[in-house]
Amino acid sequence: MKTSKAIVVTIAATLAATASTAEIKIGASLPLTGSFSIAGSKHEQGYELCVDLINQRGGILGEQVKLIISDNRSDPATAINQFERFINVDQVDAVFGTFSSRLSFPVANILEKNGYVHPLPAGGALRIYTQGHERVFYFQPNAAEYVGATLQGVIEDLVPADNRPTTAAVVAADDFFANAIEAGLLGTKVTDPGDGSLVEDMAPGFLVDTGIEIVYSEKWPEEGFNDWINLANSIKRSGAELIVALTASAEETVQITRALQTVRAEPKMVYYSQGTQSEFYEGTGDASESVMTHTSWHPEVPFSGVLAGEEFTNQDFVDAFKAKFEEMPDEDSAIPFAVCQGIEQSILGAGSTDNGEMAAWLKARTNDDPVRTILGRFSWDSRGLAIDKPFLMAQWNGGELQFIYPTDEFPGVAMMSYPKQGF
Amino acid sequence: MIIDIIQILALGISLGGVYALMGSGLSLVFGVMRIVNLAHPAMIMGGAYVAYWAFRLAGADPIAMLPVAVLILAATGLVLYKLVFEREAQSARYSEMTVLLTFALAMVVEGLLGAMFTNTQRITSPEYATDAYFVGDVFVPKGQLFAAVTSVAIISALALFLKYSRFGNAIRATTQNREAAQLLGVNVNHVCLVSFAIGVGLAGAAGALVSFVFSFFPSKHWEWIVILMSLVVLGGMGSVLGTVLAAFILATASVFVGFYFGATWSTLTFFVALFVVLLVRPQGIFGEKPELA
Repeated sequence: MKTSKAIVVTIAATLAATASTAEIKIGASLPLTGSFSIAGSKHEQGYELCVDLINQRGGILGEQVKLIISDNRSDPATAINQFERFINVDQVDAVFGTFSSRLSFPVANILEKNGYVHPLPAGGALRIYTQGHERVFYFQPNAAEYVGATLQGVIEDLVPADNRPTTAAVVAADDFFANAIEAGLLGTKVTDPGDGSLVEDMAPGFLVDTGIEIVYSEKWPEEGFNDWINLANSIKRSGAELIVALTASAEETVQITRALQTVRAEPKMVYYSQGTQSEFYEGTGDASESVMTHTSWHPEVPFSGVLAGEEFTNQDFVDAFKAKFEEMPDEDSAIPFAVCQGIEQSILGAGSTDNGEMAAWLKARTNDDPVRTILGRFSWDSRGLAIDKPFLMAQWNGGELQFIYPTDEFPGVAMMSYPKQGF
Repeated sequence: MIIDIIQILALGISLGGVYALMGSGLSLVFGVMRIVNLAHPAMIMGGAYVAYWAFRLAGADPIAMLPVAVLILAATGLVLYKLVFEREAQSARYSEMTVLLTFALAMVVEGLLGAMFTNTQRITSPEYATDAYFVGDVFVPKGQLFAAVTSVAIISALALFLKYSRFGNAIRATTQNREAAQLLGVNVNHVCLVSFAIGVGLAGAAGALVSFVFSFFPSKHWEWIVILMSLVVLGGMGSVLGTVLAAFILATASVFVGFYFGATWSTLTFFVALFVVLLVRPQGIFGEKPELA
């Protein structure tokens, strides 16, 4: 009798405990170590801040959110294993995407197969969105192949026709993301790695379309490359007036900038695919002057989103981030914050954590009824790419990352400094 | 054409000087103790962080901070040897055991550095780090040059110490024949202890130099181990002189390949060298051919 009572009491206590600790579990596998660790660590901050703020405001649908983060060491196989673990062992209700196209591409298959909404904070390669996946949603303005359109716009709209760069050196990391931007700039064909089919022909390429001749192009391996000065010397010897360095990480951006400074390269214009991070300025100092990089977010852009059903502006995000981490955020924290906002809104919109319902709700967003984040409004096309969102072009001036383009979208656009006065 | 060759040699030799110091500690430890110290690049990272924080907090020049990095890392080496390696010295499978031990040690060091300093990339920026000497069309990067000169000075001092000091003779004797050295009264355990500390101290010195040549973060050491192993294998396992020579050869070869065939292939130089040497001359340039049992 006593034993039966004990069992009943134990079961009741367990049920009570379960009921009182109901929570929504969200998994995120991030590159906290390895070559993407800078961006990965900042993504962790963005996700954590967002979940903290949601929980402080009562959670989602009355339930607290539990965030499970694992370090995938910048390794695709580990990222796959960790997402499978989230799904099969932790049985998470939803996931947040990881950083970089290299990791996001294989992960997309796992999440699609298991029916999960896959919100990507990074992973701009077009090939990710042409696999026929139904539940991918990219939280940046466009696929990486189209970043070159913004560079073209900057040159055509902001530089006098008689003083534009006429030649370009395009160097790139042999990386998913960098290769994608390169394809758009150089006008090569984007093919599906699975069956070799044509995804998109980017010809003639944004640079040629701008009237710029490519005088040098080169790739470096994605890991273990140390010969930066030799590469910078080759760029300098090409005499290119525009240097395009498609780096995969802030670390590479620092290395190529210091090498160009060492060889005393003197281009008119420099554009990098990475370089919004404070670590870039710390590592390069004055050599960063006039360097341009595209970005999806800037602290001074007056975006306004929603969090826990209340208005939440970009400035609110900056203030909250500074309060929690005692430093300024950059886009690597802002974008995942927006991903978190999107997932929160999709759960609220669906009324549950049914990923099918969440995906349907996200797909139903329009320009007039979008997901509202600190990166602005999001609605997606059938591939999962955002509709009608321009990239911002930012430029380092006087140690500050200012946004310079587009000039007609927001107030507070800074003047572009041009030409660059050496490194 | 001649200008190009001179430029390649200038870049290759200056880069090789940096690699030489990075690899020499690894080679010394293997020569004396038969430990393939996979944690050596992680120790280099430790030295780089010493230089970084001294530079960031006090504006200290990384080269001036080199002795401090050496002392801190050498002391770490002493403790590690006592805690980790000494007790395994009598094991019949010592060499195999130490591969696993140093692999684990590398992961522990990486984790500790990450916990202490975060995983963000760091680099020191003394003025010479991004400057160069120009002679006509040829240039030599000051950062790499200063690092190479410092590296050669340290390795020369090490060579003199090994050749002319009593303790250096004991180290060399242990390297050549551990049992014979022991029979002649050399305290082999003490030699191993000091050699390991010197090896790790050299990693600290290399780290101080690396801090302004390459950016670094805790897990960066995995990228360096292949380069360092290829130097040690080409030079001859355990030969410090061979490692130094291999560093200059392979660095120049990689610059040559990068210059004429593109950056994509320059890193491959080290991998190819590793495979070719193991296939053609496994004992390397200065190593001894292993005796058949």
